[in-house]
Amino acid sequence: MTVLPQLAPLRKVNPVNSANTVGSSKLSIVDLTKRYAPGLEPAVDRLCMDVEEGHLVALLGPSGCGKTTTLRMVAGLMDPTAGSIVVDGKDITQTPVNKRGMGMVFQSYALFPHMDVAQNVAFGLQMRKVPSGEQAKRVNAALEMVKLAHLSKRKVRELSGGQQQRIALARALVVEPTLLLLDEPLSNLDAKLRETMRSEIRSIQQRTKATTLFVTHDQDEALDMADRIAVMNGGLIEQYDTPAMVYERPTTRFVADFIGQANFLTAQVLSENGQAADGERYYKVEVGGLGRYSAVGAPGLAGSSREIVIRPHRLRASLHPRPGDDAIAGTIERVSYTGDTIAFAVRVGDRRLLAQSMTSSADMPRTGDAAYLSWEAADAFLLPGHIRGSGT
Amino acid sequence: MTAPTETQQLMSVRAGVLPGALEKAKAARDRRTYLLLLLPAILGLFATFLLPLGYMVKMSFDRGAPDGVIESAFTLDSYVRALSDPYYWQVIWNTFQMGIIVGVLCVLVSYPIALFLVRTRSRFRGLLMAVAVAPLLTSAIVRTYGWMVILGSNGLVNSSLHSMGLIDAPLKLTNNMTGVEIGLVEIFMPYAILTMVSGFGRLSSQLEEAAGSLGANGFQVFARITLPLSLPGVLASFLMVFVLTISTFVTPTLLGGGTVQVLATEIYDQTTGVLNWPFAAALSVILLALFGAIIAVYQRLTRKIGG
Repeated sequence: MTVLPQLAPLRKVNPVNSANTVGSSKLSIVDLTKRYAPGLEPAVDRLCMDVEEGHLVALLGPSGCGKTTTLRMVAGLMDPTAGSIVVDGKDITQTPVNKRGMGMVFQSYALFPHMDVAQNVAFGLQMRKVPSGEQAKRVNAALEMVKLAHLSKRKVRELSGGQQQRIALARALVVEPTLLLLDEPLSNLDAKLRETMRSEIRSIQQRTKATTLFVTHDQDEALDMADRIAVMNGGLIEQYDTPAMVYERPTTRFVADFIGQANFLTAQVLSENGQAADGERYYKVEVGGLGRYSAVGAPGLAGSSREIVIRPHRLRASLHPRPGDDAIAGTIERVSYTGDTIAFAVRVGDRRLLAQSMTSSADMPRTGDAAYLSWEAADAFLLPGHIRGSGT
Repeated sequence: MTAPTETQQLMSVRAGVLPGALEKAKAARDRRTYLLLLLPAILGLFATFLLPLGYMVKMSFDRGAPDGVIESAFTLDSYVRALSDPYYWQVIWNTFQMGIIVGVLCVLVSYPIALFLVRTRSRFRGLLMAVAVAPLLTSAIVRTYGWMVILGSNGLVNSSLHSMGLIDAPLKLTNNMTGVEIGLVEIFMPYAILTMVSGFGRLSSQLEEAAGSLGANGFQVFARITLPLSLPGVLASFLMVFVLTISTFVTPTLLGGGTVQVLATEIYDQTTGVLNWPFAAALSVILLALFGAIIAVYQRLTRKIGG
């Protein structure tokens, strides 16, 4: 055995420039800014984004990145310092929360403890003065949708966390909201239930075609559920794109680092080396101290200094050098076996690279073994942005 | 035979003998510990509360003589007298009415303050809380005298209203029930606020936000969410003020100027003036019955609102 089996690569990526889809967007956020106090750094800084009708968009980022603040401004629970929020072509920035017609699911679910399940779900309909006969029908339909119609007379405190979460979802959806807003809805559930609810929320969202904004700090959740992901950092959107693009073609080091694991190699881009798919180019690059390799990136990068991103499972690790191969030689420092996959940290000079492959019943790499790392040009992506501080 | 040691019990359980014996022994041990811990409080309450109370109830069945002599007996004389004389019915009614009016007004004026204290994110919250209960640091007597100065014929209120030309003759705000009620409302506000603040545990800004997002306007949020969730605190607060009001003696005496007859003042007169202790004891038992009635109503209401 020489080459460890690879995870199946996700090859075809549709580049979608969603920032320019004007016209069909359900929600437009323009230069939205929130400053909690004058002189403080803004929590949300001139944020712009468009959400298409029927899409589920995840606002993804570490805590304090401004994602919840953004959601609360869209909901009308917080006044923006500047900027505007447009829904269906109408500016609603000044519209009070109770006139926005949105459905929100709170992190703590915020079910009314003094009402039973059906009363909770009916609340929004009562506020809209829906006739009581229709109310009962719609409440029942909403409870059917979350498969909890049999609990309609229960007290809220008698429900489990997962049930409360579904009731909160039913309560938000029963009013047929213009937008569905979910604030970390899964974070209070245990891991197993979270997985189930993920696919359930997604399928309900697709059935109801509710345009949805979803705040999360969990990249798996965002990748799994969203049509588009807005990766936020420090009050700014770092990248707004499809899950596949955010993962495969991160625009910044932050995005590459936050979503999944990544190896970063600083490289001098020497010359173009042919056309790649989707208008991208192959390049010959010089990785400092290691030698010349191939990478892929946007046109026009030749002659500049860039960072290469390689996902651990796209690094081919073999335990023996193959003749004629220009693999990077290193030593396995740590092996981490998780059943399906096996990950190693490989020491190469002063660098530490992460590689990952599917496990096989053949012989297992051990700490201290020599490893030879190589990659396909298409798996080594040159970040479009300049390296911070290099000023080219 | 000595009792098995814990280890022996453990071993017998492991061996499959006497299932549950260990748990039973543990439960018994726990019960003993609890009783032991409760003992000082029980003894203290018994000596200072239950014993005198029992003595008072017993005395209410004694016969009182005009010169203050208490004749040991078992007679319903005192009760018959209290409940057959319309004057005492009036006193009981005055007491009850005063308790309700002061309780309601006190809760009404304290509610916004308590709500504010629970919700505020201000870093001065602790300080504001202290300010709200600070009046407790002065005695009710001092504050009652303060109110006499403010409410008197030439007091702050009357002289201000007069100089503004709003009234010709001074309003009668002291030496009557109005004055007593005004004074008591202010005096019991700290208790009302404290009770409400601790009773507002179910309120949360997120519930109000959720109601808002579902289309409720400010008034609907208050009526459908805030108010129902704060009711347990409101009821507890009302009960507290009611109980304090009907048992208070200083303010009705001073601000009432001898014209306000409630059970507490009547009991005082009977014990120190007329020296009919059995009759005073009977009036005290009637006052206790009033407490009991209102507590029964309170409990029924709290159960109803699911507190």
